[in-house]
Amino acid sequence: MPDPAPLTPFTIDGKPITAKPGQTIIQAAMDAGVYIPYLCYYPKMKPYGACRMCLVETEVKIVRKVKVKKGDLEVEEEQVTVQKATVASCTAPVQKDVVVRTNTEPIIDLRKGVLDLLMAEHPHGCLTCHRIELCGPQDICQRHVSVTDRCTICPKNERCELKDTMRSLELDLRTPLNYHRRNLPVHTDDPFYDRDYNLCIVCARCVRVCEEVRFDTALTLTNRSGVSLVGTTHGSSLLESGCEFCGACIDVCPVGALVERDYKWEKAARRVKTVCTNCPVGCQMIAEVNRYDKVIRFVADLQGEANNGQACFKGKFAYAYPNSKKRLKYPYVRENGVLKRVTWEDALRRVADKLKVFAPNQVAVISSPRGTNEDHFAAQQFARTVLKTQNVDSGLNTVPEIFERLRGRLGNAAGTHPAAHLERSKCIMVVSGNPTEEQNVLAVYMKKAARAGADIIVIDPRETELTRYTSTWLRVKPGTETLALWGIARVIVDEALEDKEFTSNRTSGIDGLKRTLLAEFDPAVVANECGIGEDLLRKAARIYAKSAPAGLVFGVGTMPREGRAALTDAVVNLAFLTGNAVKDGGGIFPLYPGANTQGAYDMACTPDPAQRGTGVADLAAAIADSRIRAAIIMADGLNAEAEGLNGLQKELAHLDYLVVSAVFDTEITATADVVLPAAPYPEQQGTVTNLERRVQMVRRVALPKNEERTGWETVAALARTMGVTGFGYKTAADVFAEIRRVVPQYAGLSHERLQNGGIQWPCADENSPGTAVLLATTQEGQKWAFVDHAPSLTRTAMADSGYPLTLVTGRVLIQPERDPKVAKRGDMNYIGREEVISIHVRDAAAAGIHDGDMIEVASESGPIVSGRARLDSTLQGIVSVTALFGGVVSAMQDSIQADASPYVPELPLRRVKLAKIPARANELAGAR
Amino acid sequence: MPATFEQIAEQAKARWQALTAGKRPWIRVGYAISGQAAGADGVFDAAIAACNQQGIEAEVTKVGSLGLNYLEPILDVTLPNGPRVFYANVNPDEVAGILTQHVRGGKPVTARAFAQQPAGATAFDGIPKLADLPEWKMQVRLAMRNCGNIDPHDIYQYVASGGYSALNKALTSMTSDQVLNEVKGSALRGRGGAAFPTGVKWSFLAPSKAPLKYVLVNCEEGDPGAFNDKGILESDPHTLIEGLLLAGYATNSNYGYVFIRHGHDLPVNATRRAIQQCYELGLAGKNILGTNFSFDIEVAFTGDSYVAGEETALMEAIEGKRSAPRFKPPFPAAFGLWGRPSNINNVKTIAYVPQIVQNGGAWFKSIGTQSSSGTAIVCLTGHIKRPGMYEIPMGLTIRQVLEDIGGGVVGQKIKLLQTGGPLGGVLGPEAFDTPIDFDAMSKAGAILGSGGIIVGNETVEVVDLIRNLVAFCQFESCGKCFPCRLGNTHMVEVLDRMCRGTGRTGDLDLMARIGSAMKVGSLCGHGQLGYNPISSALKFFGEEFKSRGQTGQKPLGSFHDGSMILPTRTRP
Repeated sequence: MPDPAPLTPFTIDGKPITAKPGQTIIQAAMDAGVYIPYLCYYPKMKPYGACRMCLVETEVKIVRKVKVKKGDLEVEEEQVTVQKATVASCTAPVQKDVVVRTNTEPIIDLRKGVLDLLMAEHPHGCLTCHRIELCGPQDICQRHVSVTDRCTICPKNERCELKDTMRSLELDLRTPLNYHRRNLPVHTDDPFYDRDYNLCIVCARCVRVCEEVRFDTALTLTNRSGVSLVGTTHGSSLLESGCEFCGACIDVCPVGALVERDYKWEKAARRVKTVCTNCPVGCQMIAEVNRYDKVIRFVADLQGEANNGQACFKGKFAYAYPNSKKRLKYPYVRENGVLKRVTWEDALRRVADKLKVFAPNQVAVISSPRGTNEDHFAAQQFARTVLKTQNVDSGLNTVPEIFERLRGRLGNAAGTHPAAHLERSKCIMVVSGNPTEEQNVLAVYMKKAARAGADIIVIDPRETELTRYTSTWLRVKPGTETLALWGIARVIVDEALEDKEFTSNRTSGIDGLKRTLLAEFDPAVVANECGIGEDLLRKAARIYAKSAPAGLVFGVGTMPREGRAALTDAVVNLAFLTGNAVKDGGGIFPLYPGANTQGAYDMACTPDPAQRGTGVADLAAAIADSRIRAAIIMADGLNAEAEGLNGLQKELAHLDYLVVSAVFDTEITATADVVLPAAPYPEQQGTVTNLERRVQMVRRVALPKNEERTGWETVAALARTMGVTGFGYKTAADVFAEIRRVVPQYAGLSHERLQNGGIQWPCADENSPGTAVLLATTQEGQKWAFVDHAPSLTRTAMADSGYPLTLVTGRVLIQPERDPKVAKRGDMNYIGREEVISIHVRDAAAAGIHDGDMIEVASESGPIVSGRARLDSTLQGIVSVTALFGGVVSAMQDSIQADASPYVPELPLRRVKLAKIPARANELAGAR
Repeated sequence: MPATFEQIAEQAKARWQALTAGKRPWIRVGYAISGQAAGADGVFDAAIAACNQQGIEAEVTKVGSLGLNYLEPILDVTLPNGPRVFYANVNPDEVAGILTQHVRGGKPVTARAFAQQPAGATAFDGIPKLADLPEWKMQVRLAMRNCGNIDPHDIYQYVASGGYSALNKALTSMTSDQVLNEVKGSALRGRGGAAFPTGVKWSFLAPSKAPLKYVLVNCEEGDPGAFNDKGILESDPHTLIEGLLLAGYATNSNYGYVFIRHGHDLPVNATRRAIQQCYELGLAGKNILGTNFSFDIEVAFTGDSYVAGEETALMEAIEGKRSAPRFKPPFPAAFGLWGRPSNINNVKTIAYVPQIVQNGGAWFKSIGTQSSSGTAIVCLTGHIKRPGMYEIPMGLTIRQVLEDIGGGVVGQKIKLLQTGGPLGGVLGPEAFDTPIDFDAMSKAGAILGSGGIIVGNETVEVVDLIRNLVAFCQFESCGKCFPCRLGNTHMVEVLDRMCRGTGRTGDLDLMARIGSAMKVGSLCGHGQLGYNPISSALKFFGEEFKSRGQTGQKPLGSFHDGSMILPTRTRP
């Protein structure tokens, strides 16, 4: 570790404190607990210097040596001058020994002067009302201030930063300035957001967070001078502005101008730190809970190590399902086809009795995809020690091939580096993944790197949001992603761009790899097979190899199952070849759907291939051929439509016995023999592990109101009912104590330690700070092996069966060349544009389609999309459609599912055929 | 086609010889924007037509402006080896007659000629010499030395007038440090308004070892009543380009931007043309004049925004962003355009540099006053008899400028001056003995600023004038920092009601309170100086304000006759 740079000592209000290098005065003051008021400054954003609330007086002594004549002698004397200034402490860097005064009379007067001006533009009945002392945080009254100013116009009464600032300054609000209300219409027609610019103070936090942290620039400042205000980039709806609905602007808004529409008027009774369980990034969030124990708001936590104060459309707006009235409250058993309410004891007894009927390997236990490590651990303990079955898995473990291969290659089934370090990368290669939609905050780090000059390479047949950030988009034929990676490796070897020191000291088998590459992967042939230009392949290889550190982010979104292991191998090979596997800012990041799939692997709540266990991915097939006859499924958030679980829904009916613990009555519970009420995240206490191996606390926000139980409680109770010892856990911490005894990577962790923030495993003992970079330290002589056998060059052929083409769907934030045609339906904005379906000329000819025809794309399960044909696809056999991101957000908002986020559609590839919509319909469509 | 400087100079000399001492007479039409506004287009066309009709073989050239705007359009005729005779306020109808008599007859139209410049000893009788005119006599023309004399689109005419010899001198016989030292020694102070010593500013940039450094020239010039930056660019762009190249050399920079306000076509075109000519002759670009010094120049602009003239806002504008000022530090010398070390100077400042390098810093320092060396380029407008652009040595008093150069007031008596742009201030007659230099002016309560002086006679209503100035500042605020965005808006509101006659007691205190918040609190000079117009007006015309601070007053000025168009950008 290099020596930390020296701290700068200075004084603030007479108190000597120090500043870290590069800190401004306000940052150092905040660290030291000195309050300086501010409105436009926001931690983790660049200072802006607009509100001038944070003005302070500074005094610097400057000592100069001057020559002075004393009589005949010229002597050198020290001349001391004192430089005084009034500076904005958010922008002024700390100078050594500067004397800062934050509360002098002139400074306070100045702040009041500016606030006076601001108050004359901002509704402030909440401050002048004579009932203010009596007013509670949720009170709304109608009679005491003017109509346009009363507390019902501002959803942030008593949680307003401006109001807090006013109070801290004890502003008397008796200014002779005239008050003007702007009388602007409130925008309530976009998904999830309400925007009331009557309340805006133009601090530009929202514009800045959108531009400088999220890189979406969906918001902008409009106009100038007194009419300067915030607006959307295209001056219209958020849907067409390029907004990704991450809610960052809402989180930073100091006043009531930007708020979430749901629970808009609710006030928080308490705030609890927890972790979002929608995806494996593991964003730390602050759940705001009202006095009825409902989660009313999710605010991204600035202290979250994984997300640094960021969240996404799912995390920000799909948190409220536990508040639903449709939740399952009691245990039920099915008698004569009808679910009948029973007691827990009764239900468990029946389950315990029934399970005895089946042979161990006929039973499967599926832990909840949103389950905690404690849930996973208890589930697998139960399955393996009580039921003695190897058929145990977690609900969204749909891509086990990645984990298995990573375990095989790296010794650990996990991502190698801290996600936030991706922003240090000079190059990031994204293979077959769509992080913007599925692991959103990861994409934020990538975009940050891109903004800082890093090259983004995308290898994906789909047009995803990240393709907008790349100059090197390898739009390969579906299924040839792995081939492209091998081709890249070949170019690297050809041009001697590999990290020779790393490959010779830390890896083995490079010669074998080179032989294979030279023998089988001619770049020209590879490029041709992939359907891209050889130049592009070489360019990608050069960029990746020459930019250090370079990160590798890969998913298997476009890969058929049988190709996933090979893809993982190719990815690891590349990271070893260039040494990026161990460089800070490099690394390997697997993308997968489940929020705590990592934890499930760590807890061994996954089928062990050596023991031939059946996991989620094979469950449907195993049920179909009666290998599995009974199952216990914890279904919180399990998406039966997710790839890998397709068909599961149908097959569940074939089970002889099905026990489901769920939050809602869904397609999974439809055929269950026993339905147990599960407690969703706000009622859970435990830990989850994200894709960077960070173990974080999920905190109990509210107690279950009815008879819901968390996963481990259910499993442990069942085990006890079955008369097994060893499941006497009282709390989640008890389960965790067992975990740290059994799982070596977790040995140094405890609930107590994790209270102060997440820790990345391996963490060997109580004193270990965890491990940020997985492969950084290795034992002497340990070498990583290359995989030198190549997958078959031919693409995995998908079954034809009358569906000759592959549909590649893409989704982007904005498509400037096409009008989104935002239209109102009811009171809401919707994207109304007609889709354009790109097809190849020969495919069109085969289907008798001409340019501009209305066509329909249908798969086995029915029509998918219709729109106008455009004969411009470059790849034969591919049909591509690009939709706008806003459509997903609208769909999520309108979802009839209480828990909408598992139903957000992904972008799978599908076998399809084309059909022309008859001319009559064509005309009608044209007329419309 | 790159050439040595000697080759260029020789060619320039030959061309100049042909113009002034050849066989053909040289007819020049003042074609700057002031000339065009007065009808120079018609005069130029009439001159061409007359020559064609009368079979006169003459060189007819569009030149810049002499600065004598009240005399525009100006047509002047130089017979071979003869004096240059100026005709003022020429009507296109009379051009043919003048040319017939002067060119074909060889006798100037004495009655219409207002001045002449003798060629050696040759002079016509009955026409005053230009150098003897009162408005010319007191001028010291350094930056404006070529204005109105040469064709701004012809680099050879500039070279023939001594142009680019300073660059040649610097590149061939001086180190960059020596150039910097000459500028330091000249005590040249920035002409953009802040009057910061130019040499010191350059010395912040010079030592930086960054591979890419910028020198920016600011010709945003949004002040009402100021047109000297544009005046120099449209009449003599090469003096700026040469100065910019020298600045680049002195600071070891490699890229220059000339930032001009969008829509000012004449200066934009002239500057672009000049840059293009420099590239053609090897005076810009790679290895200038065969030396190791390389410097690229580009013209940049933004949409019309006054604040874009603030140095950091200007950088934002060049970067294609909203032109709102950045906070400082970091200062431009460390983090400027595109985040690279930069220096930014006013057009006038840079325009002095060739002469300073040519004649030495000490020579420049000897002109003007102790604290403000050199000249001031003032733009006289308003109720004054001789509006125009004049270059005077620092230290002349305001009265001298108004009476001797400006020719006195239009109307009965001068009531006030508005100097240094809308953020400058207002001066009453008591202050007219103030010498024009940076320090004396700011002591008097105004600033020299960009050099605009607007004269108001007894008919001017001070409160109405100030309302207009503050409304301008309000309209042009970028809207970023709270004190300026809101303070100006509220100040306009108060001044509006004063003008309407619905003022309130305490309004002056209210404005003072807003003003003090703006002065200390604002992010950039626009807000910090925003109260200046009011405070300076209060100093001289406090009574007028006090009487408006109560209801029942008669509406003022444009409010009186209802012609006032209220600013549209007050509130959303």
